[in-house]
Amino acid sequence: MWSLQRMLRQPLSRALALSPSRLAPLTARKFADQVQAQPDNVELFIDDKPVSVPPGTTVLQAAAQIGVEIPRFCYHERLAVAGNCRMCLVEVEKSPKPIAACAMPVMKGMRVKTNSDLTRKAREGVMEFLLVNHPLDCPICDQGGECDLQDQSMAFGSDKSRFTDIHFSGKRAVEDKDVGPLIKTIMTRCIHCTRCIRFASEVAGVDDFGTTGRGTDMQVGTYVEKMFLSELSGNIIDLCPVGALTSKPYSFAARPWETRRIDSVDVLDPLGSNIVVATRTNEVLRILPRTNEEINEEWLSDKSRFACDGLKRQRLVTPMIADSRGNLTPVEWEEAIVAAARALRDCPPNKLLAVAGELADAESLVALKDLVNRLGSENACTEQYFPLEGAGTDLRSSYVLNTKIANVEDADFVLLIGTNVRFEAPLLNARIRKAFIHKETDIASIGPKVDLTYEYIHVGDSASIVKDFATGSSSHEALKRLESAKRPVVIIGADQLKTPEGPALLAYTQELALRLQDKLADKEWKVLNVLQRTASQVAALDIGYTPGVGKYLQDGPKVVFLLGADAGVVTREALPKDCVVIYQGHHGDAGAAIADIVLPGAAYTEKRGTFVNAEGRAQQTLPAVTPPGKAREDWKIIREFQIPRFCAAWIQRLPATRLMSSVHLVGGRPMLRLPVRGAIPAFLGTPTSILSPNYVPDCHSSFATR
Amino acid sequence: MLQAIGAAARLSRTGLSRSLPAFSTSSRLSAEDPARRKEAPIIDNETVFATPEEAKEKMTQAVAITVPTKVDLSSISGVPEEHVKNRRVRIYQPPKNAMQSGTNNIHHWEMEFDTRQRWENPLMGWTSTGDPLSNLKIQFTSPEEAIEHCEKNGWIWFLDVPKIEKDFKPKNYGVNFAWNRRTRVSTK
Amino acid sequence: MKEKEEQFSFTSDNLRKAKKSIEMYPKGREGSAVMPLLYLVQEQCGWVPESAMRYVADMLHIPHIRVYEVANFYTMYNLKPVGKYLIQICRTTPCWLCNSEEVLNTFKKKLGINIGETTKDNLFTLKEVECLGACVNAPVVQINNDFYENLTPEKVENIIAELSSK
Repeated sequence: MWSLQRMLRQPLSRALALSPSRLAPLTARKFADQVQAQPDNVELFIDDKPVSVPPGTTVLQAAAQIGVEIPRFCYHERLAVAGNCRMCLVEVEKSPKPIAACAMPVMKGMRVKTNSDLTRKAREGVMEFLLVNHPLDCPICDQGGECDLQDQSMAFGSDKSRFTDIHFSGKRAVEDKDVGPLIKTIMTRCIHCTRCIRFASEVAGVDDFGTTGRGTDMQVGTYVEKMFLSELSGNIIDLCPVGALTSKPYSFAARPWETRRIDSVDVLDPLGSNIVVATRTNEVLRILPRTNEEINEEWLSDKSRFACDGLKRQRLVTPMIADSRGNLTPVEWEEAIVAAARALRDCPPNKLLAVAGELADAESLVALKDLVNRLGSENACTEQYFPLEGAGTDLRSSYVLNTKIANVEDADFVLLIGTNVRFEAPLLNARIRKAFIHKETDIASIGPKVDLTYEYIHVGDSASIVKDFATGSSSHEALKRLESAKRPVVIIGADQLKTPEGPALLAYTQELALRLQDKLADKEWKVLNVLQRTASQVAALDIGYTPGVGKYLQDGPKVVFLLGADAGVVTREALPKDCVVIYQGHHGDAGAAIADIVLPGAAYTEKRGTFVNAEGRAQQTLPAVTPPGKAREDWKIIREFQIPRFCAAWIQRLPATRLMSSVHLVGGRPMLRLPVRGAIPAFLGTPTSILSPNYVPDCHSSFATR
Repeated sequence: MLQAIGAAARLSRTGLSRSLPAFSTSSRLSAEDPARRKEAPIIDNETVFATPEEAKEKMTQAVAITVPTKVDLSSISGVPEEHVKNRRVRIYQPPKNAMQSGTNNIHHWEMEFDTRQRWENPLMGWTSTGDPLSNLKIQFTSPEEAIEHCEKNGWIWFLDVPKIEKDFKPKNYGVNFAWNRRTRVSTK
Repeated sequence: MKEKEEQFSFTSDNLRKAKKSIEMYPKGREGSAVMPLLYLVQEQCGWVPESAMRYVADMLHIPHIRVYEVANFYTMYNLKPVGKYLIQICRTTPCWLCNSEEVLNTFKKKLGINIGETTKDNLFTLKEVECLGACVNAPVVQINNDFYENLTPEKVENIIAELSSK
């Protein structure tokens, strides 16, 4: 009782103290760290087991702490509490009615019974009501097998239905809504838990969903036919506990028990969200998020989720060589490697150029750089430019997100410079929005005025503002806020740095960040962040690739080795007429179009590759399926060039352990955390060349792809 | 010579000395001062009645120290050698299914092997594989058990440990109606 | 194919009234004025077009869907165009006991429309509503803002004739 009163008193006093304006983001507001620390824990009993939790916790959370999971539909730990499904009703001693565990704060000495007769009756009753109007769609519903309603009705529902109205007016039916090409809505199955509405409003920031009508005629939808235009829209498919919102590309594809799930990492955006790749018979069916509190929490951006159907289209499945007329014709591996090796051997050392693309994994980056260095050339570069003036890429902190993604949530002021975080790194934007809502963080942006799903102070559009901020000569409110913030964050987009003003922009940003960091009380807090655009950039810079291709193209290379370089930075026009272009990648994209020799590699779901995300965290993708046709793993292809019989005697074969150790020492810290225990790990173990007849096909499909 | 006998005698200073034929027990008795002894030496019946084999075993046990050796079952487990040497085991806790809220089936540890090639069998369209360990997924209650199992079988393993656990933050229904905070919801 | 609706905007009079309604609420809470504003829209147009809902939402700085939710929840907001005279017949028990069904049937026959429909000349729309609170003089009909009580089929015919001629 006492804690309840205390809880009620707090918001009232705060309400009287603060100004009521919500629309003026610059008014002084109490920041989260000024709120007093919580007092002692409250003790309560759940099923006669004592639990001690901070006051204000809900009964459901307290039960979860001791391992008692109370069934729920509408409650989600990352969304606001709604309390409308009533499935979490539990009995509390001395209360005649059950209480909604998801919303009721704990009180001292509460005795909660999660398995008593009253609780069971409540659950059966709620389940009965939910099933009254729920269609009998299980056989045709995509959610079957992974449906909360199915599982909870088996576990907590009764075995009989008393719905006699089926013989009269029957169950209600609702029209399907069209919310876009990605989400299939069958709103008859909707149980009105409002999770999608809360997600759209709170996490995605796009208030498109709502409830129209009332009573039996209540419908969840967008009312007007509107596409749910959020880059996180696919997450409502995960959130929906029933099959009302399902994935349109994945509809009717498979049942969850048929699929094999492999944990992996996504490489389509620079954050490296953890994913689960669901496959069946060597094809990737869908990609789901995996919880990683530090990167993507439980969400996944739409690009990562729905791009998996592209893994079957436009794939490079055989090595190809351009014939006399310039058309690429399929050849055998031996021929392709020999042709490429010959080109490499005949190339003068300083005319050999290696270009790393967007999705190159660290193993192949290291292998390629070693090959190029062995051949006497230092020209290994990435497509994405980064200024080399000043410290350039020597210091790791100048090109990664130093405030880790998880810590951005604790920031109290964020300055975005030249980056549309919403589309460049959607999950980072979700974090910033989380800070905006829960920690009352304010955000300022220098750049074009875009919709970032949260209100922010638009400082301006010109790069000179950064200079003014850095030197302190600006009198803008945002600068004052930045300087007075205890945990400021400055995020600059890497794309801005490839303009002619890029180096100056970076220098001034670094100056600003340094100035802010110097006066911080918290010595562990880092201010400067550079948001890279691709998944391979940080690894490439760590390994020692030079960012940017322009300088090397001007020198007129004779052989260019493109490792998945499809951004179109290297064009045929920019190269000399007799230049040989070797392309190694997995899709027939811009790079393969200009190539003379094409070597088919593996995509990110087909190989074990290390990718370093924007904050400098190394993660490994695991192979879920095998590469199609004659494609092979990338680093194995590059290693082929080191076998003596193809190249001149002065190219030595790189011992496997050296490759292993070079990968280990990247960035000064271990990138592959494998407890090797003395043995060479399996992925380096097979000594036979991919061309030999004894090649053990561990990643090779002997059947032609369809 | 006397030293050798003495040394040998010291080695065999057990109740078995009587039954050992090679060395004279009298040297033992003469090495000690008989006057110092207060009682006759106690002779254990079992050692007297033991057969020579049993006696030998007992002796080795008395002087030998048991050292735990690394158990290696790879040669007798039936797994082909290439699948012991070239496979890598991943020990992990299965992730929660993103489509559901229940977490009852993720509180154990599993081990699985690296994925090998699977293809569609042309006869029936079922999935074929050449990998005998493709469906081997063993569950354990703790990662140490899984590691022990892998070590015994000779597989290279790695532990895929989940990163930080979420900070416990109490959820509050009241913040939905906070007067001045952005946590005030406009949805139902 | 839906025709594009004309963009709605308040008349200057209504704009003034709207601003007065908004001022009743604290700054930051303008959203509470959604119901009076929607009623103003209905007074101006006779019904609430979707473009008007969006206009009101933008005026109050709230998401569009919140206005759609409110407009759809209350049945008094007409979401389809109505005729010049909106005939709302009480269908609750007291009126029914006093023969409101006959009154309803007379309306239907005379106007040739069913509940929810509008006559071809766009004069009359028929709507069934809950108790109008004038049970003492049942059956009751509300036409626009006027109550017509103590009805009989003849009186209904008179009313229709009178209104058609106006």
